Amino acid sequence: MLRTIAALLALATPTAFAYTAAELATKNVEAKGGIDKIDAIKSLRLAGTLRINGDTLELALVTLVKRPHSIRSDATLQALTVVQAYDGTAAWQINPFQGRKDPERMSSDDAKGFAEDAQDFDGALVDYQKKGYTLDYLGTEDIDGTEAHKLRVTRPNGDITYVYLDPDAFLEIRTIDRRIEHGVPNETITDYGDYEKVDGVYIPLSREFWTKGSSDHQKIQFDKAQANVAAEDTEFQFPASRPATPAK
Amino acid sequence: MRVISALSVCALSCAAVAATPAPAPAPLIDSGVISGLGARNIGSAAMSGRIAALAGFADPSGKVTLFVGAASGGVWKSTDGATTFKPVFDEQPVQSIGAITIDPSNHNNVWVGTGETWTRNSVSVGNGIYKSTDGGETWTAAGLPGSERISRISVDPRSSDTVLACVPGKLWSDSAERGLYRSADGGQTWQLVLKGANLSTGCADVARQPGSPDVLLASLWDFRRKGWTFRSGGDGPKAFSGSGLYRSSDGGKTWTEVTPATAKGLPAKPYGRIALAYAPSEPQTVYAFIESTDSALFISHDGGATWERGDKSSWMVWRPFYFANLIVDPKDAKRVFKTDGALILSEDGGRSFSTIGGFHGMHGDVHDVLVDPSNPRHVFAGDDGGLWISYDGANKWWKTDNLPISQFYHVSLDNQDPYRVYGGLQDNASWVGESAYPGGITSSRWENMYGGDGFWMWADPSDPDYVYAEAQGGTIGRVNRHTHELRDIQPRLGAEDLKRYKKLRFNWNTPIAVSPHEPATIYIGAQFLFRSRDHGQTWDRISPDLTTNDPQKQKQEESGGVTVDNSVAEMHTTIYSISESPVSAALIWVGTDDGNLQVTRDGGAHWDNVVGNVHGLARNSWVNWVEAGRYAPGTAYAAFDRHSFGDLTPYVYVTQDYGKTWNALVDGKDTKGVRGYAHVIKEDPVDPQLLFLGTEFGLWISSDAGAHWAQFKGGHLPAVAVRDLAVQPRDNDLVLATHGRGIWIVDDITPLRHLTPQLTTQDAVFMSARPVQQRIEAQGGWPTGAAAFVGDNPQDGAVITYYQRTRQLFGKLRIQVLDAKGEVLDELPASTRRGLNRVLWTMHRAAPHVPPAVQLAFAGTQGPRMPPGTYTVRMLKGDKTYETPLTVGLDRRVTWTVAGRQAQYDAAMKVYNLFNDESVLFGRIVGLRAQIAQANKGRPDKDPLHKRLGELDDKLDALRKRIVATKEGGAITGEERLREHTDQLYGALNSWEGPPGQYQLDNIAALRAELDDISSGFDKLTTAELPALNKALTGKGATQLVVPPPTAFDDDDAPGHGGVAAGRLDPDADAVSDVARLKSLRLWN
Repeated sequence: MLRTIAALLALATPTAFAYTAAELATKNVEAKGGIDKIDAIKSLRLAGTLRINGDTLELALVTLVKRPHSIRSDATLQALTVVQAYDGTAAWQINPFQGRKDPERMSSDDAKGFAEDAQDFDGALVDYQKKGYTLDYLGTEDIDGTEAHKLRVTRPNGDITYVYLDPDAFLEIRTIDRRIEHGVPNETITDYGDYEKVDGVYIPLSREFWTKGSSDHQKIQFDKAQANVAAEDTEFQFPASRPATPAK
Repeated sequence: MRVISALSVCALSCAAVAATPAPAPAPLIDSGVISGLGARNIGSAAMSGRIAALAGFADPSGKVTLFVGAASGGVWKSTDGATTFKPVFDEQPVQSIGAITIDPSNHNNVWVGTGETWTRNSVSVGNGIYKSTDGGETWTAAGLPGSERISRISVDPRSSDTVLACVPGKLWSDSAERGLYRSADGGQTWQLVLKGANLSTGCADVARQPGSPDVLLASLWDFRRKGWTFRSGGDGPKAFSGSGLYRSSDGGKTWTEVTPATAKGLPAKPYGRIALAYAPSEPQTVYAFIESTDSALFISHDGGATWERGDKSSWMVWRPFYFANLIVDPKDAKRVFKTDGALILSEDGGRSFSTIGGFHGMHGDVHDVLVDPSNPRHVFAGDDGGLWISYDGANKWWKTDNLPISQFYHVSLDNQDPYRVYGGLQDNASWVGESAYPGGITSSRWENMYGGDGFWMWADPSDPDYVYAEAQGGTIGRVNRHTHELRDIQPRLGAEDLKRYKKLRFNWNTPIAVSPHEPATIYIGAQFLFRSRDHGQTWDRISPDLTTNDPQKQKQEESGGVTVDNSVAEMHTTIYSISESPVSAALIWVGTDDGNLQVTRDGGAHWDNVVGNVHGLARNSWVNWVEAGRYAPGTAYAAFDRHSFGDLTPYVYVTQDYGKTWNALVDGKDTKGVRGYAHVIKEDPVDPQLLFLGTEFGLWISSDAGAHWAQFKGGHLPAVAVRDLAVQPRDNDLVLATHGRGIWIVDDITPLRHLTPQLTTQDAVFMSARPVQQRIEAQGGWPTGAAAFVGDNPQDGAVITYYQRTRQLFGKLRIQVLDAKGEVLDELPASTRRGLNRVLWTMHRAAPHVPPAVQLAFAGTQGPRMPPGTYTVRMLKGDKTYETPLTVGLDRRVTWTVAGRQAQYDAAMKVYNLFNDESVLFGRIVGLRAQIAQANKGRPDKDPLHKRLGELDDKLDALRKRIVATKEGGAITGEERLREHTDQLYGALNSWEGPPGQYQLDNIAALRAELDDISSGFDKLTTAELPALNKALTGKGATQLVVPPPTAFDDDDAPGHGGVAAGRLDPDADAVSDVARLKSLRLWN
């Protein structure tokens, strides 16, 4: 016996969001100070501390960013300085803690995070179209008691960043970077706080990040932020000789 | 502005309460306020939990992506063939999984049907179908919200939007929302295309013919569970059943029933549950397991037109409602898996089967199998004990140790330090585990103590060598925790009682209670309440039958439907909850599964059934929990559960007058935001206003005696059933027994006791906490690899808790710790969330200044731990400052005194200062050499002064090399100088916080003498040579050399002195691991 049953269930109503992804990106840029002020920052020097290993180990940290794609971080402990840098094409590092100060090239996968950080140092939503990113708004999600706007940023290489915006300030309170590294996805969660204006642009001076599923959090606390500092290209490039000069 | 909260928040808020009139009632807390306390999951993954569904695919390289659907613990995804998993469904409102399907034409599309369909008595519920278009990273509810459970999803390989969802529907009640649904628009709308003959018949399975996606088979299933019975099929082997087999040839739009009359070889109806599977490599071959009065496997080689009877061995036909699943090898049509208590496999097309897994070599009770399509020898199986992997075609199995989806029924705690956690689990026996252990809580920190399904478990309060544990049906045992000697002490009937009562009726989950007054007294409930005061040597029956004793609910021997199934799971009219009052030993409460709520005030001589006083509550509501109040004898709480009648509403009541009147804390009229039927309600042991409520969908907390409730989501606790909870009274930890995600611990709930309305209106305030101990900084653990779950320990240090009304987004928020002199010892990165926040102070002072060398001095990367005492915590928040004292004490377990601890600290500080002084001397040497280099800059080699300066430089460098190792290159040079010796001593002194040994103190003096000798050499050298050199330099018009002042070589305020815990660094193994950590340091996100 053929049965034709045409009972329709209640239709799932298409989700209606208060904002589009583009609107939220615009609000995020405006909240930071506007695109003109953001663009006016050509370089940024941040100095503070990095805590790791369950807060038991503290290093002095200096991070230097320069448009369009350069970033360098120097972390110092007992006058030994770890350097990690990216010059827009390749990343390298020096890790002297076991007595070796020769610069070492980082694999392209290990460099991915640096490349993204260099490109997105003012936020993944800023100039997302120029950067070739695709944005999707995924509604709101509870982030530690804040019902945050959630956006998915898809990069041309397929890597994804989930951006969570404070519903009132429209600034990032959390990102989750999902990068394919060595053939497998790795996820890093970063929380942001201590927003302060640097040359008219809100910059988060505290960041806490950890690998998803791990309880080992790294914490960065910047105390000084200077925009448009002098930054030579050579500071980001693989050194011709060792040791590299720490960023000042 | 400066705001000083002089002592604890209690002092502050209590004063405020006294000074101001009570405000109008308002929600004191919400989820965002309380969840900042966090929570940690301690597993275990050793006794993992039931897995209901598997799905996966292999990429061209052979790498397997795997989705695991837990019966009540969400969806877990692995992209590395089960080495690691992450939960991907935790943000969703339900955690019970029935089906997972990956779109065959686009692996990014993943469908999840919620609501498990292995419908045992303890099964949870779902709320529809979910869809992911990004490989399971994010999910959208895609309809069928009233389905409750979904058994299979089939996506048309030609069209990702064309989907069939097989919905058995509600287990406990009639419902029209069941059958086979079809969507042609990716889940936006659904059409019911195959409907059962009655409101208890839904869809059990659907299978699509490979290569002919319009051709499908589906089975309908008539089933129903009640508290006292279950049927798969009709009410008995001869009763009508809506179950049947159906065929579609138009992609599922229309269906025709396939019967013995139309398809030769099928068994006679009535049917129960039917499982279906086509052979991917032979599309005309299809297998059907059909539950009937003659259950068997049926095989068709013509696409289902005709059938032949295949295997009907024990494991083929056992418990069809729980094990109806067939999986065919993707490359070999004759290789068929049938899930059951054992996993069985046919290699001859279904004619015979071999046992290849189950109760030997696996846990047993297998529910799903996934065969790696790229390598059929690679097989995954999910059973009641977790996930198993075979690499040899399902002969031998690896047990995964990374899915903490254990299903606890109950939890209890002892008073060891750290305390231990006891509990029983669904089909996974009874275990005791550590609440903390150096290195983390691995599977090896849990120990099995009993068998069967596990439920209540208690440490014997009167004998620390023994535990009580139980298996299903009240099989209680007293077990020696060391020898595992076991004594079955279940009460039994004597001759007269046997004649009179026939049997004792013990629930599947029989309650056991330990008296809060008499350590040797325990209770167990059948239909009667039994009490033993001698560890089960004798039992006193202290009640009449406390249940309704309804004979209509005592026909378990008829349970099962088409196939008899009477496993004790349906035993009814039993006692289900027992609570002896902490106020009065003679006051005992009992709740029954058939709705009686009984109380005695004279130790069992007289009982009153007071359930009739609970107005508005439907009769016969299951009493999931009754709890005598701690603060007043007349107070009791009761949680009623009507989900076995199809009502998922929480019902929680309180009485203040021994049950004469009851007030609803949560009920159908006002759930107050609480979701899910209630399992457990408990008072906090300190604050009468603080209540904890566990439901099928999580934990809710009230800080105003039940007037308002807030869901606790700390630590990303998902919407998993919280079936029991316990507060450790010494440590103030709240421990949750979840049925699907193991044990969770909320460390130190003291702050919840102080969340008053006055407090929560403040911008920021420090919260009271338990006393801070300096817990032993112990070593432990061992590399377990990425495939092992390790439960987190409590945070190691002083946990500072504060409340802030809103998230701190702009401007600095800092937490400083100051000593008694007002010196800032540390400045901590603050947590910025709304509500309660926690930050950790490790209690270590800043690292010493260490003279730089070619490698780190690892012990010297951290300062000594400060001695016990009173410190000040200061919060800098915008332009406001808040302060609170922080008292630090010794670990309760240590053998030394505060004076001994001070001696250790003083010794460590001597070495700390030695480091600093080495650093100062090093700085002077380096500074002088820099001047020499400058003086020699451009000076011709022939210039005699060049040679003299060079000679001085060589002598200074020789002094430097007495202080630090200088061989570069990254190898293990073994080079040791003063700094390295200092580091070794420093590490040794910090490895143990008791009084140092004299040999260590002697070594301090020896190293100090060595430094003095080098320093003396420096002084002599500069005294002897600088005057003449400076005269010569002056003669050349050059700048004179100046002995640098005695300051550290680096900036006093610069960070970078911190480091790993000094004493924990073994010169070999651990040092290497810490180096590895530093080598993998990532300086940006």
